[in-house]
Amino acid sequence: MPKSNLPRRDSIDPEVSALLKEMEQRQVDAQMPRREREKKARERQKIADRRERRATYDLPPHIRNQISDLSTRLSIPASQLVTLALIRFLESFNAGGLDLGPLKTPSRSPRYDWNLVIPDLQTDDQKRNKKRSRSLPVEKVVN
Amino acid sequence: MKIVSFANQKGGVGKTTTAVTLAHGLALAGRRVLLVDMDSQGHVALSLGLPKSPGLFGLICEKRDLSSLVVGARDNLDVLPSDKHTAAVQNEFAKSPSGSVRFLEAITGGGYDVVLLDMAPSLDSLHASGLLSSNWVVIPTRMDSLSVDGLQEVIRSMGEFSRRGHSLEGYCILPTFFDRTTRETYLQFQGLIQTFGGHLWPPIPQDTRVREAPAYGRTLWEYAPACLAMKGLPEDRRRIGGYRQILTKFMEVLDA
Repeated sequence: MPKSNLPRRDSIDPEVSALLKEMEQRQVDAQMPRREREKKARERQKIADRRERRATYDLPPHIRNQISDLSTRLSIPASQLVTLALIRFLESFNAGGLDLGPLKTPSRSPRYDWNLVIPDLQTDDQKRNKKRSRSLPVEKVVN
Repeated sequence: MKIVSFANQKGGVGKTTTAVTLAHGLALAGRRVLLVDMDSQGHVALSLGLPKSPGLFGLICEKRDLSSLVVGARDNLDVLPSDKHTAAVQNEFAKSPSGSVRFLEAITGGGYDVVLLDMAPSLDSLHASGLLSSNWVVIPTRMDSLSVDGLQEVIRSMGEFSRRGHSLEGYCILPTFFDRTTRETYLQFQGLIQTFGGHLWPPIPQDTRVREAPAYGRTLWEYAPACLAMKGLPEDRRRIGGYRQILTKFMEVLDA
């Protein structure tokens, strides 16, 4: 029995393969009516242009949900909200206003030295409650 | 030391341009290169801005030393030129095998890192000697049926030599004058992939600069280092083919 888990080698040069794929697409396009062909070309160009602006990061689901909710509430694209948030972060970080030290824990990954312990996101109400509870005597809080 | 021939029975497919461009690219990368013109048209010398001369004739028919016949074309790049006298070399090779032996001894004893043989578009004794001397063969071809037929003739010759006991280390097919917008190019390219698989290398795009460079006696590295034929076809955010990429692949072959 041949081993099924052996990686199959691609005998065609990957550059040649990519070029053939692109040429096949051109051949398919050539069969389309002009208007449809132009529409397809515009769509492909749009996708290609977006590729430059796209990034994939892992986010905690509750952050993602909150960004999504905010986007709906303010009627602003989520990407723009995240861009603004990242700009603010970078400004603060570059100005030395953000110390990552207390959040760092050693990582076991061969690629990274550190992980960040991400603090919980608190709403303004939660922050106010927390501040108030700190200022109140303990017995009052318990009561 | 490796000997690489550039062959296709069909003329005008880019053998000389490819041989000259890769030879100069290797020389620029610090390799000591000898480029031998096996074609009586003598176009290797012209492409490098040198006069034609009977270098190969002198080596084989007059039995002169290689060192007295080679011409320093660029730093690290020597050329053994040809002219119409090269036709007599064919007779010499056809008469006895001593000519071929002398040729092989001379080019391997010159102290070069790599020897490139720019073959004539024919299947004569000179062509056979060149192929038999080679470790590797580069077969440039246009994407048309006549050029593809020419490359198949070279493959048949290589198969014949292989049956007689001469084994090549490998070969590649290099599409030249590549215009991806035509259906004929697509069909020929598809056919070559199906037939030759990994032996097919990424193409050299069609580019007017390639035709202009020899008129100035300059290689593409000097005349148009950033032209399409050098950089390759734009595809998304990268480039496919072009002489720069082919030089990298070629150096991997030489170092293998």
